Amino acid sequence: MSSRNAVVVGGNRTPFVKAGGKYAAASAQDLMTAALDGLVARFGLSGQRVDEVVGGAVLKHTRDFNLTRESVLGSALSPLSPACDLQQACCTGLEAVVYVSNKIRLGQAQVGIAGGVDSASDAPIVVTEPLRKALLALSRARSLPEKLAALAKIRPGDLTPVPPAVIEPRTGLSMGESQALTTKKWGISRAEQDALSLASHQSLAKAWDDGFFDDLVTPYLRVAKDAILRPDTTMEALGRLRPVFGKGEGASMTAGNSTALTDGAAVVLLAEEEEAKRRGWPVLAKVVDAQVAAADYVNGSDDLLLAPAAALPVLLERNNLSLGDFDFYEFHEAFASTVLATLKSLEQAGVGTVDRARLNVAGSSLATGHPFAATGARIVATLAKLLAEKGPGSRGLISICAAGGQGLVAILEA
Amino acid sequence: MGRDVRSLSAPPDTSKLLLKGLTGSIRKRGGTVSALPERSYLLLDQRQDLARLAAYDAVCGFTLRDEVAPTWLHVLTFPLQAALMAEDDFPFSLAGLVHVSNQMTLHRPVSVGEVLRLRVWAENLQPHAKGAAFDMRGEIHVGDELVWEGSSNYLASGVKMAGEPVKAERLVAPGVEPSQLWRLPANQGRRYAAVSGDANPIHLSPVTARLFGFPRPIIHGMWTHARALAAFGGRLPSAYRVSVQFAKPILLPGKVGFVSEPRGDGWGFAVVNREGKPHLVGELVAGAESA
Repeated sequence: MSSRNAVVVGGNRTPFVKAGGKYAAASAQDLMTAALDGLVARFGLSGQRVDEVVGGAVLKHTRDFNLTRESVLGSALSPLSPACDLQQACCTGLEAVVYVSNKIRLGQAQVGIAGGVDSASDAPIVVTEPLRKALLALSRARSLPEKLAALAKIRPGDLTPVPPAVIEPRTGLSMGESQALTTKKWGISRAEQDALSLASHQSLAKAWDDGFFDDLVTPYLRVAKDAILRPDTTMEALGRLRPVFGKGEGASMTAGNSTALTDGAAVVLLAEEEEAKRRGWPVLAKVVDAQVAAADYVNGSDDLLLAPAAALPVLLERNNLSLGDFDFYEFHEAFASTVLATLKSLEQAGVGTVDRARLNVAGSSLATGHPFAATGARIVATLAKLLAEKGPGSRGLISICAAGGQGLVAILEA
Repeated sequence: MGRDVRSLSAPPDTSKLLLKGLTGSIRKRGGTVSALPERSYLLLDQRQDLARLAAYDAVCGFTLRDEVAPTWLHVLTFPLQAALMAEDDFPFSLAGLVHVSNQMTLHRPVSVGEVLRLRVWAENLQPHAKGAAFDMRGEIHVGDELVWEGSSNYLASGVKMAGEPVKAERLVAPGVEPSQLWRLPANQGRRYAAVSGDANPIHLSPVTARLFGFPRPIIHGMWTHARALAAFGGRLPSAYRVSVQFAKPILLPGKVGFVSEPRGDGWGFAVVNREGKPHLVGELVAGAESA
């Protein structure tokens, strides 16, 4: 292998806000452009060409087929910067980082930007299948009788729009309902979930108070700080919330220990290590390696969101590391019980134990919110900064689960 | 300078003012003019409406960002322009006015979160070959800092004014092929009226446009101006001076081309019809020297 290293130079994101809130009028492209422009301003990239910008969104309009490229053209980057859209559900942002890092390591790029965006406020509303087919037939029709025949196929019921939903197509279960099955199977208690959520809010609040995000977040549309964060929440307050996923007595998943639908965008600047030094950029951390895995969840043999537990042993073995060899663990909090079940399954499989004091030390998705495709870049920027502060040789592990029973894990090293 | 300064705490209702300005055509017809009222309108502590900005950006093709377009700042001054023109002692009726050209200077990026102080006044009344011309001037401050200046040059046709007509300098359209095609739907005038507050009937519907002598509704010149700036996407400088001349109205619905070429530290641009004849010619110069 070559000696080229892909390093994280820095990151930028918008503050994250609840869907339907302060960013309700902003499109995914607006948000992505804002995240890019903040990064451009931070690293003096105005008018400069970067070798590739890679990003994506999970909730995506057909008009956004070239979302990332269109965002580049709207940004202060040189229009000569190529871009690529990539999508792997909630792994999108991290997968984009892996894509750019691999290109950098292979010598196909020197400087790249990776990230993602999601606007649950601006989600596409889909028309029913019969209406869609009739409209397509109408657009192909040449004569009046043909046009009338196409229109005649439409029934009143076809006109109801189909709202967006985070539903697994093959199981018909929402992500929360799927996770409720996992929560029950792994015996994750309400108190454990609420405690993890409380820790997430407290850690994020402290990180904000410490100014940790001052060079990672750029205000957007009069929002300067993550708006889902509840710095003053307590176990009692979380304990009062009614379960929203799962059935009956044991139902334990609430709005307090599940992520909220969120709007936001995040990007990271990556470069070849020598190139970063030549430009006088900070070198926060190397992107060492990554591993993706998938779970057989459709017929219930695997859990929908525990695929990272399958990817991890492969990644650790390839890098001659054990689960205890990390200074920081960034486990995406899709739901509190996802993290807890992942940890439990790693213990049960003999992979090892995660030191909870090193887990999500600057808060994670429960407190920050989770604009699906943006979360990976948020985590990479946060972890890279934590590692740079910790010092050379420090190591961090990222784990992100995604729809479709997929999981992506990655190692960063300062 | 002995000006009458009228300070407002909220923007006046433009639809009422427009009506008054337009009906003024009955009272303020023809005649000889010699001076403009010594009056300026001041709007204090204006917060910007985010939802309206988002709608404005969408209609004009801008990305919704914290730094607002200078044409948006112009839109914020529009109610004051309308108030000034609707005054009984303002010598011209709105119906007889033609927006000939526009200049604005963005001295520094202005954020949507900033609270603005707006001032508008009319000045520079001059004889014109077809009547009289004057400038509607605007200034926007944030605190003590001048952040935006605008000047809208209007022609009042059919009025008489003593003196030698002044010739205006003509901007030159780039001699290149259009790189963009814009499709303007029939309701584009209503869409822009909704976000700009300029509901002049010539922009709204075929019937109302015909009342004022247009075969079809025409799009607002300031939409065309805004759309032209939006056409530069992320390449707009952080501070600049932009001038446009309105050559020929764009009838709705319609298709027009956009041409541009780099000129020194800025751009020359034009919005042209199928034959390449300009509807609007403009020039943008980076930097922020005074307008």
